[in-house]
Amino acid sequence: MRFRRSALALLTLSALGLLLALPAVAQEAARTAEYRAFPVIGSRLAVWAIAQLHLNFAAFILGVPIFAVIIEIMGWRTGEQRYDWLSHEFVKLTFAAFSTTALLGALLLFLFVGYYPKFWAYFSGIFYPTFWVYALLFFLETFTVYLWYYGWDWLSGSKKWIHVSLGVLSNLFGTAILFVSNAWVTFMTSPGGIDEAGNLTSLWGAINNYTWMPLNIHRLIANVVFGGTIAAAYAAVRFLQAKTDEERARYDWMGYVGNFVAISALMVLPFAGYWLGREIYAFNQTMGITMMGGFMSWLWVVQAILIGVLFIGSNYYLWLGMERIPGSERYRRYIPYMIMILAAGFIVWATPRSIPVTPSEMRVMGGAHHPVLGVLGVMSAKNTAVNLMILTTFLSYLLYRRANKESVKPWVGTGMAVQWLIFAAAAAIVTFYGVYGYFVESIVRIGFSVYQVLAVLGALVLVMAIDIPMFRGARSTGEIRWGTIAPRSQYVLILLAVTFTWLMGLMGFARSGIRQHWHVYGVLRDTSPDAVTPALGYAANMITVVTAVFFALVLFIFWLGGLGEKGKAEAGGHAAPAIAGGSHR
Amino acid sequence: MRVPVLGKVSVFALLVMGAYTYYANSIPQLQSKPPEELSLEGGNVTPEQLVKAGEGIFKEKGTCEVCHRIGQKGTRAPDLAGIGATAAKRKPGMTAKAYIIESLLDPGAHLVEGYPNIMPKVDRPPIGLNRSELWAVAAFLESLGGTVGVKLDDIPKTAVAAEVKLPGDPKAGQAVFMGKGGCIACHKAGAIGASPVGPDLSQIAKIQTPEYIMAKILNPAGMGTVAGYPAGVMPATLGQTLTAREYLDLVAFLLTLKGEGAAPAAKK
Ligand code: HEC
Ligand code: HEC
Repeated sequence: MRFRRSALALLTLSALGLLLALPAVAQEAARTAEYRAFPVIGSRLAVWAIAQLHLNFAAFILGVPIFAVIIEIMGWRTGEQRYDWLSHEFVKLTFAAFSTTALLGALLLFLFVGYYPKFWAYFSGIFYPTFWVYALLFFLETFTVYLWYYGWDWLSGSKKWIHVSLGVLSNLFGTAILFVSNAWVTFMTSPGGIDEAGNLTSLWGAINNYTWMPLNIHRLIANVVFGGTIAAAYAAVRFLQAKTDEERARYDWMGYVGNFVAISALMVLPFAGYWLGREIYAFNQTMGITMMGGFMSWLWVVQAILIGVLFIGSNYYLWLGMERIPGSERYRRYIPYMIMILAAGFIVWATPRSIPVTPSEMRVMGGAHHPVLGVLGVMSAKNTAVNLMILTTFLSYLLYRRANKESVKPWVGTGMAVQWLIFAAAAAIVTFYGVYGYFVESIVRIGFSVYQVLAVLGALVLVMAIDIPMFRGARSTGEIRWGTIAPRSQYVLILLAVTFTWLMGLMGFARSGIRQHWHVYGVLRDTSPDAVTPALGYAANMITVVTAVFFALVLFIFWLGGLGEKGKAEAGGHAAPAIAGGSHR
Repeated sequence: MRVPVLGKVSVFALLVMGAYTYYANSIPQLQSKPPEELSLEGGNVTPEQLVKAGEGIFKEKGTCEVCHRIGQKGTRAPDLAGIGATAAKRKPGMTAKAYIIESLLDPGAHLVEGYPNIMPKVDRPPIGLNRSELWAVAAFLESLGGTVGVKLDDIPKTAVAAEVKLPGDPKAGQAVFMGKGGCIACHKAGAIGASPVGPDLSQIAKIQTPEYIMAKILNPAGMGTVAGYPAGVMPATLGQTLTAREYLDLVAFLLTLKGEGAAPAAKK
């Protein structure tokens, strides 16, 4: 730990030093080349690799603490030791990734300054004041996380509330850091606060540009999903490696919690995505259309497949999990229907609308859109499909939740009937607007997606509002047999983590690729030899390589963390509480 | 032999990513190439060549096809088939040529019924067509149902893609010029300064490129010596003494010096 701490301090210092040296560097930049070439792989690939890795790590150290603190609060309020242990375990994982994140961030900065001097001169001219804010926030974040982690035992018992507040505080700082750096990337996509020649007129305008807020929300939620899937994958590996039943039980439970948090956040992610998409259209129609229908149109087909894998995989995990719950047999018969809805939704979402076709292909198809499938390709159908998939996933979770419970409330019959009615109503509203969307102008249709979202969100809230009291004090049909889940379920967790990480890489490519040959869209042109925006295959190769490196680094860091643990086990420390047979709420 | 868990998990993860990668490589591969600049000023082109060039721009650099189709009614933008003829009837008293040019430079001025005002000004970034390119596109549109008669001179001179400039505040730059930079000791710039040691900079933005001006400040000796003036007099240390901000402001100020009016000071 000592070593890591000093390494981090060193990094922070050198980053600060660099900040102070920036004006001189910018001057140097203006005097010399606009671009320099990074050896062998070229500047673009160097920046790509480091930026993607940095983002992966940053998402991890921002996402994991969010639910670490949620779990800590749960443990604090319920007094259940295992939550506190789990929270500590998660913060430990974050902690291990902290210095790597900072190192990658510094590397990225060096690459910009050294290899994109013209861009950097312009960019720092706009955002220089925010660099200081960023450095300050980073310092505060580091400081609070240290306190949070090392103060775990010290601030326990009656002082626990202080400890929880530290957790909340470090998350607030973390979120603020995210927001600052989002201002930079979104400015490049949808610049604001500048005049036609690119001169800064308002710093706040540059920060609060069209896509800033939607990206903030989108990334915040996605970070939670990401942190959850990675933590679940970590638990899965530990589960598969486990030697005793007790260990298996503990990591089964940990994987379940991580996955639960991930899915909950995943269900709202598409909504944030639509908002982001809409703002891109609002900023510039051409950009929006290029993104959805131009050279990037196939990207959304790939995205749909990945999201389909995520939804189907997480449902499958819940169904496998039900097998370890006595009493769940009652619900198995619903599973085939849910598979049908998910598969249908998947197919619709993966149907492209307009993809560039050759004239001869067009002749075979009888037009630019396929006569039958083209109908499924439009946004109306896709919105409908994804909303139905979300409803289905929610149903899976609901069944899982009540798998070993029998309500003792006298009104249970009515309650369940009302719940089904709500589901049916939400599905009907979603479908109605989906179909009606074909008969109205696109402007009106965009508004419909809001009604669909509201119907689904409303159903989620209402159903839970009935479910929670209905199953309070329910009779149990048996304890969850933690640790007895089929090992293949653990591979599902790993599948989810890998898929989501890869998806993040893909969406990052989409986000920066829609700028095409611009550093700052419409303002600062990319005149480097790398100005071509590559095709999807090239991008996929790159994403895979970087993602593989990311996981290799993560494995290494976790392995280091495990080394520390081995020494500690004898000395006491945070002994893991027993889980087996522990009741699940 | 038992395969260790980490081995199995790694192979599994690689297989999953491999599947995604394989799929992404198996679909049509589309790149987005940066457009090339077309310059026809001063050159002799036949109307046919012009129309051909315009068609290329329509499809590529202009990205018109994102919204428009020819011979097919789109939901986003009107069909442009026959625009060479219909353009004459759009606005009373306006020729087809004038209407076409207007609809490129100021698309909001007249909206085709039933369509929203979403078309970008095509001479502005991000499309940023230059005069030659506008000329070619206009000729191509005329050729769709009309006769090609547009001349380069029909395209207003103001219609050039706005150049990228480094951000700087000319007003603050003037202060640097008179203060910290010390330029005023040797240079006149419009209404300010009178020293004859260095050349009069009142028209510098008109006679020199931004690149030259920027480089001259940082490295006077490296940019040659202005005829009739002594070499080595202009200080070579400005790159060290000015901050990046001051430097950018100063450049912005110099770029306002176009020799018009008495007070060249900044707007605002
Ligand atoms: C973002 C979508 C979009 C793009 C890109 C676009 N346009 Fe348009 N265009 C429209 C819309 C919508 C209209 C109808 C409303 C109007 O008149 O402004 C229109 C109208 C026109 C008209 C007038 C048509 C008529 O019948 O009066 C012409 C000519 C035209 N566009 C040419 C072009 C050219 C050339 C390009 C490429 C350099 C281009 N447009 C790019 C959306 C677009
Ligand atoms: C000590 C006197 C002196 C000072 C101070 C000085 N210059 Fe100069 N400058 C000269 C002389 C002499 C020349 C012409 C000889 C040459 O080209 O080197 C010149 C040339 C130039 C030119 C090129 C003009 C042309 O027509 O090509 C520019 C631009 C310029 N100076 C800008 C500046 C700026 C901006 C400052 C303030 C930061 C400045 N100078 C300060 C003496 C000076």
